[in-house]
Parts: sequence; C-alpha cells; structure tokens
Amino acid sequence: MNNQPLLEAVNLSKRYEDGALAVNNVSFFVKPGEIFAMLGGNGAGKTTTINIFLNFIEPTSGEARINGISSHVEPLKAKQHVAFVSENVMLYTNFTAIQNLDYFVRLGGKTQYTKDDYRKVLLRVGLQEEAHNKKLKGFSKGMRQKCGIAVAILKDAPAILLDEPTSGLDPKSGFEFIQLLDSLRNEGKAILMSTHDIFRAKEIADTIGIMRQGNLVMQKSREELSGENLEQLYMNFMAGVYE
Amino acid sequence: MLSTIITHELKNIFFSPKFSVTFIVVSLLLILSVIVGIDQYQKAIRQYETTTQLVQQEMREARGWMSLNNKILRKPDPMQIFVAGVNNDVGRISGISSFFAVKLSHSTFSDDPIYAVFRFVDFAFIVTVVFSLLAILFTYDAINGEAEKGTLQLTFANAVPRAQYIVGKFVGSWLGLIIPLAVPMLISLLLLLLWNVPLQSEEWLKIVSLFAAALLYVTFFISLGIFLSTMTKRSSVSFLFSLVTWVCMVFIIPRAGATVAGHIITVPTVAEIEAQREAFSKDRWTEYEGTMQEKWKARNAPTQTMTKQEREAFRDSKMWEWMEEDDRDRKQVQVDIDEQAKKLNEDLRNRKAEQEYLAFVLSRFSPASAFQLAAMNLAGTDIALKSRYEDALNEYRPVFNTYKDKKQKETGNSGGFRIEVNSDTGVKIDAGREKGVLDISEMPQFTHPKHTFSDAMASAVIDFGLLGFFSLTTFAGAFVRFLRYDVR
Ligand SMILES: Nc1ncnc2c1ncn2[C@@H]1O[C@H](COP(=O)(O)OP(=O)(O)O)[C@@H](O)[C@H]1O
Ligand SMILES: [Mg+2]
Repeated sequence: MNNQPLLEAVNLSKRYEDGALAVNNVSFFVKPGEIFAMLGGNGAGKTTTINIFLNFIEPTSGEARINGISSHVEPLKAKQHVAFVSENVMLYTNFTAIQNLDYFVRLGGKTQYTKDDYRKVLLRVGLQEEAHNKKLKGFSKGMRQKCGIAVAILKDAPAILLDEPTSGLDPKSGFEFIQLLDSLRNEGKAILMSTHDIFRAKEIADTIGIMRQGNLVMQKSREELSGENLEQLYMNFMAGVYE
Repeated sequence: MLSTIITHELKNIFFSPKFSVTFIVVSLLLILSVIVGIDQYQKAIRQYETTTQLVQQEMREARGWMSLNNKILRKPDPMQIFVAGVNNDVGRISGISSFFAVKLSHSTFSDDPIYAVFRFVDFAFIVTVVFSLLAILFTYDAINGEAEKGTLQLTFANAVPRAQYIVGKFVGSWLGLIIPLAVPMLISLLLLLLWNVPLQSEEWLKIVSLFAAALLYVTFFISLGIFLSTMTKRSSVSFLFSLVTWVCMVFIIPRAGATVAGHIITVPTVAEIEAQREAFSKDRWTEYEGTMQEKWKARNAPTQTMTKQEREAFRDSKMWEWMEEDDRDRKQVQVDIDEQAKKLNEDLRNRKAEQEYLAFVLSRFSPASAFQLAAMNLAGTDIALKSRYEDALNEYRPVFNTYKDKKQKETGNSGGFRIEVNSDTGVKIDAGREKGVLDISEMPQFTHPKHTFSDAMASAVIDFGLLGFFSLTTFAGAFVRFLRYDVR
C-alpha cells in the first residue's frame, strides 16, 4: 500500500467575506488506513475545513489536497478520489433508497453496480431490507445517514470526509457506525471525520486534532494520547489553558 | 454524466406529487378547449353555408338587376379553433352594393354578447397563461431548492462539472415538461382528424408552427424559472419573484404596452376628426364668401359711372364668364374640403398604425405578447384580418357592380313596374320580372383573402426570433450565475 497522504491540509486558512477568520493556518494529513478525528465546538472551523477539501469554498491561503491534487486548482480531478457524508445527509425524499443510491453513485462515476450491489451495501450499513424500496420521505435521520454512508462506500473512493456523522444518531446506530468506520479503515481508506463526540473519537481515531477558533490547537496520535485523559485535555484546550 | 443528470431530473419531475394532478388538469383543459373550438368552428361553418345559400336565394329572387345586392360572409377558418384572436370581434358579414361602402358587421360578440362575457378559452390563452405558470411552478426552485434540500452539496461532492449540471438540469426539466405538454397537443390533432375538420397542408404547417411557438414560449419560462432559482438562496424568495415576473409578463407588460403607446401617440377620435373637418369646411366657405364679396365689388366697380342700360348690358355680357368663374371657385372649395378630409383620414390611419406599431414594440418586451402575436399571425386571426377582408371586399365590389350594370344593360330592364291587363287573368302588376328567375350563375364570385403559410410565417418570424432570444438570454443568465453558485 502506498503510504502517501490521501488527505492533506497545508497551511490552510479561510477568511470569510465578512472578515471572520474561520480557519487559521491549519496543517495535517491523513494516510491510507487512518482515521483523523477533528474535535471542536460549534464554530471551530471544522465544516469550513471540509468544505475547502470539497472546493465548496476556496481557501484564502494554503491548500487542501486530495491524493496530492489541490482541490481548488483541479477540483474535478481531486473530487474523484473522495467521498463525502455530511452532518445532515439530505437525499431526494420522493425517491426510494435504491433510487437515491443509484443517482449519486452514478454521479460519483460508478455505473457498473446492480440492484443487488445496492442491496448488499444497504444491509452492510444497517438499513433493513424493507426500507430499500421505500421513499425517503418517512426515513429517520439515522436511516438517511445510513443511505449517505452507503453512497460513500459505493463510490469506492480512497478518501472519505465525514462532517459530524454521528450527531443525532441513537447509541446503537452510533456503535454500528463506529464498527463500519473500522472496517473501512481496514480496507485502507483515509478518513477525515469532524465530531463533537470525544468518546467515539477516542475509540476509533488514529489521530485526534482539536480545533478552536479556527486553529488546530492540538494534534496527537493514538500512541501519544495513550495514558492521557483526553476529556481533560479537550476541556483544557477549549478553555485556552495552553495559549 | 449528462444523461444521468437528465434522467434524474425527468424522474424528479415525473415522481413529484404535483406532477400527475397538474398535468391531468392541464391536458383536460387543453383537450376541452379544442373540442369546444371544433364545435364552434363547425357551427360557424354551418351558419356560413346556410346564410350563403340564403343570400344566393335572395339574389335570385331580387326584383331586378338594378336592385341586386350581394352579401359576403367571412369564411370560418379552422385555425380559429386554436387561436380565436380577433375573429370574434370582427364583423362576419358585409353588403356589396353600388351605393354603400363595404363594412363588416355582425361580429360573434355583437350578435351573442354571452360569448364576449365568457371569452373563449383557446389554445393560445391556455399556453400563454397556464403553460407558462406550470413551467414556472416546476422550475422556480430548480437550483436553490436543491441547495436547501442539501442534495446540491452531495452532488458537487462528486466530480460533476457545473456546466454539465446546469445543462442537464435544463434539458431534464425541458423534456419533463415539454413531453407531457406535447401529449394533449397531439391528442388535439387526433381530435381534428376524428371530427373531420377540413385541413389543407397549409393549415397543418400552421398548426405545427403554432405548437413549435408554444413550446418555445414554454422553454422561455423554464429558462426563467431556472434563472430565478440561481438568483436567490431561498426558494420561497424565488417563488415570489417568479410569480411577480410571471404576472408582469403575462398580464401587465402586454397591456401596459398598449396603454403607454396610447399616451405617447395619441390618435384623435372620430368625433375630433369630424370636428376638424367641419371647422375646415366652415373656414373654407367663409373665405369663399369673402372673396366672392371682393369679386362682386370689383365687378361692380366699372358700373359706377354707367347708365342703367349700359350697366345691364355690361352685366349681361359678363354673366356667363362670371358664372363659370364662380362655379370654378365653388368646385375648388369642395375639392379642397374633400382633400382635407382625405388627408385627415390618412393622418388618422397613419397615427393609428404608428400607435399600433409602438404598442407591439413595447409589449413585445414580454414573451407572452410575442407568443400571442406569433399565434395570431400564424392562425390568421391577427389584427390585419379585418383589413385583409375589407381589401378583398373592396376589390370585389367594382367587379360585382360592373357585372350588375352589364346585366342590367343587356336585359334593358330598368327595374320598374309592368302593369298587364288581361281579360282572363285580370290586372297583374309585375315587378319587372318573375321572382326567382334572375340568372346569377355567371356572377363573379368573391374570393376570400388568402392567408398562406408563408404569409403567416413572414409575420410570425420576428416573434419566433424574440422567443428564441429571450430563452437563450435567460438560460445564459442561469448558466453564468450557476458557475459561481454557492452549493453549500
Ligand atoms: N458562509 C459564511 N460566511 C461567514 N462566516 C461563516 C460562514 N460559514 C461559517 N462561518 C463562520 O466560520 C466559523 C467556523 O464555522 P464552521 O466551519 O461551520 O464551524 P464548525 O463546523 O466547526 O461548527 C464560525 O465562526 C462561523 O460563524
Ligand atoms: Mg459544522
């Protein structure tokens, strides 16, 4: 396995038009088979960072790279290597789960899948068979989230961006989700996940970054964190103890 | 990629809950209007035929060639099924005689005012109002609705080129709306065949072009909806904008065009023209009287020194000369007055034409006007319908009158009475000839004004161009906006 970073932020900064500095000179990378968990409170700049990777917004300075490709210089090329699950997965409510999958997976450039492939992946992410051909209108947030993850899995991209994927999930779904992430990591995916959830992050992440007011104030690997009290660290960072 | 987006958009429209209901209602409305149109057309044809026969009968039974008058009926045109235009406002009948100028009277609306109250909802109206509304309602949230749903974000997390997406969106919405709208149109063609509406190839071409214009018009509103959906972040805002724009284009601009033109170029009323003519005539006669007095003074001047006899002899010798001179002057006055009247009429017509032109130019800022003008021009129920008929009638009138005069001279009949006294049958007063024996088989027939497909196209081409231009520019606007649209 190639060990070059698949996701890489290089001195990334973003100042919005209104002057707010949402991301300030942030650098990190995620290698294949790694999960990077970005912790931080509301407004820390997590979503902004992920949006720069997806070229939804342009960085003010620095660069976000996917598989070595700058996402704002060559967005179409860069996005071929990444799948995305947003905080609120929103799909077409007048379409069934399978229809939604089929559309977004095709947009992702994958046209070879059969209905059976969709079925298998939906089962893998934990969506019961009865729901596969139901319109999304009546789906709970958790069910929609599962569909979104299925889309990401089917895109079969080497890198995955997850923006607060566990927010709003019940404990059981949350647990299943962590297991799923683990299996994706074992497949060699590079995963960047933003979250508020310290416990889940600690459980699964290979590297944990803490963001505060646009700054990546801490970045430690699992080994570096072993023996440390992450909750305490987090609280301290959030309180600005180390500044 | 493009085909994925297009098929998805098609499904999105077809699976949307509002789709089936709206399209069933619109299709029924359109089909109903065509059925009513066919029915009215066939009634009009029957009326045309019976009345024409009646006129022929009356002519044959005329008292003599002298009193022979023809009546010409405007022939119903199957195109009126789709576009009523001015058809119901223009008179349907005109007398042809030696004494009276041609004048179309008895319009449908004047004969049956109920039709004017419940104006005929024709294809052109349904397209102008209902189709455009539909197009707007299905597209006003094309882009910002997806952004609100969050699906735009997920879409562009993939390597989807924006240009392809917006083109796919447009093509998908276009097919998704045009196909369902084309279905009732095709059904209406079947109805025409089923009811045996007599259609020549010219008319088929006109109908096909009319449908093309309708689709082009709908295309504009699809582009407009998509454009407005890229202008705002919130679909509730673009919904409002779309409705306001729609109201302006469909209802306000066309009428405002006419009103503004009426204010910029004022056309005097008939009464004003009459008053001007009267005034001129009065002035002219007063002037004539003035010069007359002067003249008589001058004529009398040399007689001051004459004796009574000399004076009378002088006047007698000059009498004819003076009379002729006065007559000439008087005639000149009449000529001047007639000329002035003609000039006033011409002015009136020119100003009317100018006003009409300006009104059309102004109202064409709205695609709705462009479509309606195109539709009327294609159907031949345009504003020139009346003058086309009047021209044809004016051409026919001398032909008919010449024929009548010729016949009258041939038969030497003055149209007077003949009184016959017979010991067997008694006294018989005869109006010149037997009833119903006037042989009008050689009478020159009126040819209805031709309105060919190329005539129709020639006058509709500008509106086709405008509709195309409007559609293209709004789509270009949507395209450019979308390239920088915030998909978050
Ligand atoms: N479109 C925007 N315009 C201006 N400021 C923004 C915009 N989006 C986010 N921000 C600001 O940037 C900061 C970071 O926001 P965000 O990245 O959404 O944080 P997080 O996802 O960590 O909660 C916040 O202060 C937020 O108010
Ligand atoms: Mg966020």
